[in-house]
Amino acid sequence: MVSLARYIRNIRKTGVKQWWHQMQYIGDAKAGTLVGTDQFGNRYFENLNPEDEVPGRHRWVDFAQHYNNATQVPAEWHSWLQHIRQPPPTEDEAMKNLSPSWRAPWVENLTGTRGAYRSYNTVVPKINAWEPRVAARE
Amino acid sequence: MSFARPRLGIGLTPRLLTAQRSTALRPALVAYRSIPSSRCLHTEHLERPDRLEGPVSIKSPAATGTLTAQDEPDKHTDLYKEGPSAIDKAVHLFFFTEILRGMWIVMENFFRPPYTIMYPYEKGPLSPRFRGEHALRRYPSGEERCIACKLCEAICPAQAITIESETRQDGSRRTTKYDIDMTKCIYCGFCQEACPVDAIVETQNQEFSTETREELLYNKEKLLANGDRAEAEIAANLHSDHVYR
Repeated sequence: MVSLARYIRNIRKTGVKQWWHQMQYIGDAKAGTLVGTDQFGNRYFENLNPEDEVPGRHRWVDFAQHYNNATQVPAEWHSWLQHIRQPPPTEDEAMKNLSPSWRAPWVENLTGTRGAYRSYNTVVPKINAWEPRVAARE
Repeated sequence: MSFARPRLGIGLTPRLLTAQRSTALRPALVAYRSIPSSRCLHTEHLERPDRLEGPVSIKSPAATGTLTAQDEPDKHTDLYKEGPSAIDKAVHLFFFTEILRGMWIVMENFFRPPYTIMYPYEKGPLSPRFRGEHALRRYPSGEERCIACKLCEAICPAQAITIESETRQDGSRRTTKYDIDMTKCIYCGFCQEACPVDAIVETQNQEFSTETREELLYNKEKLLANGDRAEAEIAANLHSDHVYR
């Protein structure tokens, strides 16, 4: 089988330790070039060789956290990982030029935690509850 | 593999020949038509001009009586002449060849590498025009773009956007309330098309699922925060598509 040969080849390329790490998360032995690392320590890989990876599986991320989810990828790398932008953000001139100075730090989806977003009104409420006031007896 | 597909075109040929037949002979030949090959038998009876006058002695056209079955093009067409024979079809039926063909495709794909994308680690391709979570953008100076023109509120087909505005102390009109009910939103993208200053955009973020419904009632601060943290990606996407906008 083709894929078994690829599997063993990728283990020999990456080493047994990295293979064990990958089997805990991505569930496949993948070998590729390290394209970059974001500010959280997530590592991004790419392998454009069609012998190794089928098209569509040629870009992947190795999360820094154990409890990972897709929103831990910051926006710049998200557009690389989802094949929106061809070059990675470290080499993407358009993305680097258009990145403003007031850019806020990336936060992952914090739903289910204490940092979850809670909606609130940004204007003065139009309907106020009745506050009964008792007139003082003479 | 010798599993010939039965010809699909055979069923269509009588209808095509019927349409080509000369219209002068049509009333006389109605009776000879086989039912599946006639286009609309009942309407032809109704459209006859003498249908209300009862049976009068109709003189047939001169050549009608001498017509044989050979003159009718579709009458003696053997529908099964060019297709598989009955024995061929019986063989395919009794030996389950269609099931075997299906099983063969299954076995071929069993030995091929899978195309499954391991989702949080690998992702499928996305368009720069993808319409995901909303964000309010700022100008490069840091000034917020939205001028409270309320065009997005007006065009929103789900009426998910609520805007209230006030004059700021420097005299410019800005929103005090910009709420989007993300449970109402249908992600049609009309708001970002209507916006004259590119303030409200739909980012490429699709992973904003929440545990409670209240977290999906976005207010202005949340939308501005979405824009602030993803501004580089939004601007790069708009830049890559600016030729077509």
